[in-house]
Amino acid sequence: MSSILITGGNGGLGSGIGRYFLEKDPEAKVWLGVRSNRSQAEALAAEFSGRCALINLEVTSKESWESAVASILEADGRLDVLVNNAGLHRDHLLATMPDEAWTSVISANLDAVFLGCRAVIRPMMSQRFGRIINISSLSAILPPLGQTNYAAAKAGVVALTQTLAKEVARAGITVNAILPGYIATEALAHMDEEAAKRAKSGIPMRRFGTPVEVASAVLFLACHDAGYVTGSALKIDGGIF
Amino acid sequence: MAQGAELRQKIKEVMVEELMLDFDAAEIADETAIFGAGGLGLDSVDALQLVVAIEKHFGLKIADAEKAKGVLQSVETIAKAIEAKD
Repeated sequence: MSSILITGGNGGLGSGIGRYFLEKDPEAKVWLGVRSNRSQAEALAAEFSGRCALINLEVTSKESWESAVASILEADGRLDVLVNNAGLHRDHLLATMPDEAWTSVISANLDAVFLGCRAVIRPMMSQRFGRIINISSLSAILPPLGQTNYAAAKAGVVALTQTLAKEVARAGITVNAILPGYIATEALAHMDEEAAKRAKSGIPMRRFGTPVEVASAVLFLACHDAGYVTGSALKIDGGIF
Repeated sequence: MAQGAELRQKIKEVMVEELMLDFDAAEIADETAIFGAGGLGLDSVDALQLVVAIEKHFGLKIADAEKAKGVLQSVETIAKAIEAKD
């Protein structure tokens, strides 16, 4: 049995990654980290009863991480995979960006990854096995206007990933980042038809990606046979350069 | 729980195995310095792994960096800390 924790478990990408693990790996036990919104996660847990459960997790809280990881270790005796997927946007031009938009985005996208990685490192070291997959963003390397906060946080996630990968390489733990481009989830729901058309015209594949196309990369990075892949930053973006 | 020479031997075996050291447990003397030149030459990453391994194999929790500094000097200091716990 592999014990897997996915943050942002109620979102389209988080629940999509969870579903993919559950469908492809019969040994997978998936914990969906959730906060207030949980309907999508609850539906997945009901569908895969006994192999999928919700766990309360406020990703910006050290105490919440400690409590969630302790609960998982108590239930499963181990924690094999952490997928740091939770995150949020608050786009503004820097000149008019409210302080709160900066701090909340840095906190939810970067502080949360730090806290999550720190919470799982010791148990993973003790079991001499671990897979950490941090969901960054294409914005980390190709930032659009209005995302100084989000792009800085996601670039920070890549730097954190590569540094941590070196620190824990000898302990059998790999740490990798995924940089999704436009993925068809609720995060793109605000986009009107015209904006979506413009966005697609800038993608060589002329379409948005699907959660499954991200999830399949996560599953690969989480598997035992990917043990020599660490510190990588994998773009999944339909060919944008 | 092992004591004396048996405990010291077990600590050396755990170090070699958990830290994937490139030498035999028999090559480590009880008083050999764990860190720094002239000793085993381990680094801060090894130290963290060693803290986790000591807790896992011997049940000794080393909660802070100050305590770690005192305990992780040699196999002898680690053994004494484990014996004091027992």
